[in-house]
Amino acid sequence: MTEIQDRLGSAFADAGVSGVLHARTLRPSPGAAGPPDPSGEAPFPEIGYEPDQLVCTASVHKVCVLLTAHRLAAEGRLRLTERIDCRAAGRTVGSTGLSAMLDDVRMSARDLAYLMMAVSDNAAADLLLERVGLDEVNRTTRLLGLERTLAVENFAAAQAGMRDDAGPAGAGALADPAVVSRLRALDPARSNRSTPRELTRLLGALWHDELCSPEHGEAMRRLMSLQVWPHRLASGFPFDDVGLAGKTGTLPTLRAEVGVVEYPDGGRYAVAVFTRAADTAHVLPAADSVIGTAARIAVDALRAPVRATVRRVR
Amino acid sequence: MIRHLECFVAVAEESHFGRAAARLGMAQPPLSQRIQRLEGEFGLRLFDRSSRRVSLTNAGVLLLPEVRALLERSQALQACARRIRDGRSDLLRAALPPDLAGPTVAALLAGFRGRHTGVELELHELATAEQLAGLRAGELDAGLVHLPCEASGLELGPVLRRELGVLLPPDADAAALDEVPLCALAGYDLVLFPRAAEPARYDGLLNSCAREGYVPDAVRHGQGESFVHGLVLSGRAVAFAPRTDREAAERGGGPDGAGAAPQAGPVWRPLVGAPLARRYAVAWPAGRDGATVGSFVEAIGAALRDTAGAHPDTPARTPHLRPTAEFWL
Repeated sequence: MTEIQDRLGSAFADAGVSGVLHARTLRPSPGAAGPPDPSGEAPFPEIGYEPDQLVCTASVHKVCVLLTAHRLAAEGRLRLTERIDCRAAGRTVGSTGLSAMLDDVRMSARDLAYLMMAVSDNAAADLLLERVGLDEVNRTTRLLGLERTLAVENFAAAQAGMRDDAGPAGAGALADPAVVSRLRALDPARSNRSTPRELTRLLGALWHDELCSPEHGEAMRRLMSLQVWPHRLASGFPFDDVGLAGKTGTLPTLRAEVGVVEYPDGGRYAVAVFTRAADTAHVLPAADSVIGTAARIAVDALRAPVRATVRRVR
Repeated sequence: MIRHLECFVAVAEESHFGRAAARLGMAQPPLSQRIQRLEGEFGLRLFDRSSRRVSLTNAGVLLLPEVRALLERSQALQACARRIRDGRSDLLRAALPPDLAGPTVAALLAGFRGRHTGVELELHELATAEQLAGLRAGELDAGLVHLPCEASGLELGPVLRRELGVLLPPDADAAALDEVPLCALAGYDLVLFPRAAEPARYDGLLNSCAREGYVPDAVRHGQGESFVHGLVLSGRAVAFAPRTDREAAERGGGPDGAGAAPQAGPVWRPLVGAPLARRYAVAWPAGRDGATVGSFVEAIGAALRDTAGAHPDTPARTPHLRPTAEFWL
């Protein structure tokens, strides 16, 4: 246990959650020492706190949908400007974007992608997912060598499963710890899944244009920086000159965000934080903000000129 | 009319004729008469008296801010009349924060005199919060405030910046460095001004420290130089301060630098990358920037540049607007 990991452990415990984290340097700041790993396996320092634990990705998996849409577009199999119908009837439910709207609309694939990333719109995500196909989403992650990342269902199915598990009492039952403990949606073996380390690898690929051209990369990074939520990752970086791009994920007691933090000196860091709260309450500001606190602890350690406390993972 | 308008505001704020009369130090019947006369004057009903509580009508709600603004101007008018009566109309009432050194104040006074405005400068030593209150109450014409401060209703002149260095115990490891990174202060407590004085500046300073890796275990509050130096010399704390003449002299930057004797005080060092600064601007009531205020802005700017190493503050970093800003430029 390094000092950094002690601090991460206390931060999670103080907020009433258990947490896992992985953070990696995508581009070092000029001030930070630490020579690249000669093996090339981990070219820059990383921070891990149970970074290989399998987690339910929830809406974080929308990053994989986004990457897949752009990969298919780059391969000429999808036009980002093609119009997609979103009928009011049968729309995937949710509390934001098209999910919350009442009337029929048509919009381009790329604008659906915007709503999916900016406000985690479930209806927009499922329309895109239907267009690209679940298999292609999994092909994207396989192409990146992410062996433990898998999408098994769309967002409508994940919510239907949760509704079945909650029973006739509906959303009210989700306050019951016994009900929450039996939710299939919270079992990473049976839902969309990944690990913190694989997700920072995914972000690295997205930031380094590994799967498609820089134009596509730029479009995807723009959408990720337009996410509206200030309460998780962004809360840990209260600096006007620090850029943030991220995607949250939320299920009963599960709160997560993966994202990239960019400092004006050029330092760039990918972070993935997943937490499970002890309390089943839906509104838990401390559980949200500890995602930012933990990410900041990790990024500060990656940026520190003195590297003694940074454990090299692997 | 002014007196009638004061009655209107008192009744509006108290929602009760009796309480309003008590607050104004008058009996209730003449108060009611004044309100009625005002209603006659405007041809509008200002209050609903139907229930036991007195409440503003729609018309009253719309008029209230206009009336308040008029009363504020009336107070300023009376203050101005008082000054003319007392033979003090050729006076600029200005304030400086307590952290300026003697030479800066002297340079300001000489510089202002040298601009031949024919106006006498009456200087007060006031903290930023007191200055803002004085400017808004019409008791001050201009003031040099610390930033950030909430300056609505005021106008600000150009922003000047003095970089802060760190005062260290002489035996601190960091004292051996030419420039100290903030993260090298880990383990030391921080001596800082009390938060209540300037909460935004206090929080911003600690936020900048945390960003550079310095989160003090304890923050001890102090402002007076002897007290702050004493805490630093005790060996467990550091403080932030701009470079003074003495440090400039010790470091060979002053006019008699070579001959300066070593001091028994704390050791001052600049911070790597100048992450901390004290920022100043002259504030004055909006729309009240005559030539006299302009001369004050010029004189204090020159004094700060020449005697305190201040320079124009240019925001070096491009902000990343996050969607929570809800605007886009």
